[in-house]
Amino acid sequence: MNASEIKKLVISSLNADADPVDVSNKLEAEGVIYNFSQNFGDKILSRLYSAGMTVNREVEFLKYMNFAFYRIALTGVAAIVVLLISIFLIQGSFSLNAFLGLGNNYDESIVCLLTGN
Amino acid sequence: MVKESYNAASEIDLIKASLEGDKRAFGEIVNHYKGMVARTVKGMLGDTVFAEDIGQEVFINLFYSLPEFRGEAKLSTYIQKIAVNLTLNEIKRRKRFLSIFSQKGNNEMHEFEVEDHDTQERKEASEIVNKALMAIEPKFRIIVTMRMLQGYSTKETAEILDLPIGTVLSRLSRAQDQLRNILTKI
Repeated sequence: MNASEIKKLVISSLNADADPVDVSNKLEAEGVIYNFSQNFGDKILSRLYSAGMTVNREVEFLKYMNFAFYRIALTGVAAIVVLLISIFLIQGSFSLNAFLGLGNNYDESIVCLLTGN
Repeated sequence: MVKESYNAASEIDLIKASLEGDKRAFGEIVNHYKGMVARTVKGMLGDTVFAEDIGQEVFINLFYSLPEFRGEAKLSTYIQKIAVNLTLNEIKRRKRFLSIFSQKGNNEMHEFEVEDHDTQERKEASEIVNKALMAIEPKFRIIVTMRMLQGYSTKETAEILDLPIGTVLSRLSRAQDQLRNILTKI
């Protein structure tokens, strides 16, 4: 096909009654071919694969963080419970003074305790 | 040409396998549809490295949107829609870029393409088609690409572009007028 025939084909391809499949086949036969580079598919797969690995690593990291958080939280709760029990056993109550380690001492006795007089 | 697609069963199998992490299955989808995507993207953007990048983005988008693919439309239609959206976005992005960095804008580029008469006698078919496509407005170019390069019917084009058939027909007619003017100058 020469240039003018190609032009006619291009223009007539947009007629409402034109067969689009036939036109596209004719154009392809005339060298109107569009392709990506040869390793196009490999590039996509490598991009997806490396992205997938990153996502997997992130997910694993979050899992470990969650596990560590629970372990730390449980240990902390257990420590608090032990502390409360020991305060109750030593001071006999859960009053503010008991928590502060002051027991039922009066202020004066604390002054005596601290100053030694 | 393009319109051939896998039979439904194998297509669904490939999608399922891809979702389960089978890279070869997704690779097969890429290999089967890359020609179709190339026609859309390169028909719209020209044969540039940007087109190759957009082509890759099409399949990467497809990969991440596969879980949402319910199989109501053909996979080829679904891929075409992604390709069309990404390509039109790229054209908008370029237009913005040109309007910021060049006061002459996009129309000047079109005029430059059209006014190049030097090698009139030696033009090959692909060159004529590319120059004609690049010279028409994007909203007409996408219609011409679907019809002329992909071989889609008016109904299929309307479905892919989410346009009423009447709009597609009127754009086809206006695109034909534009092409006629352009091709007489080439």
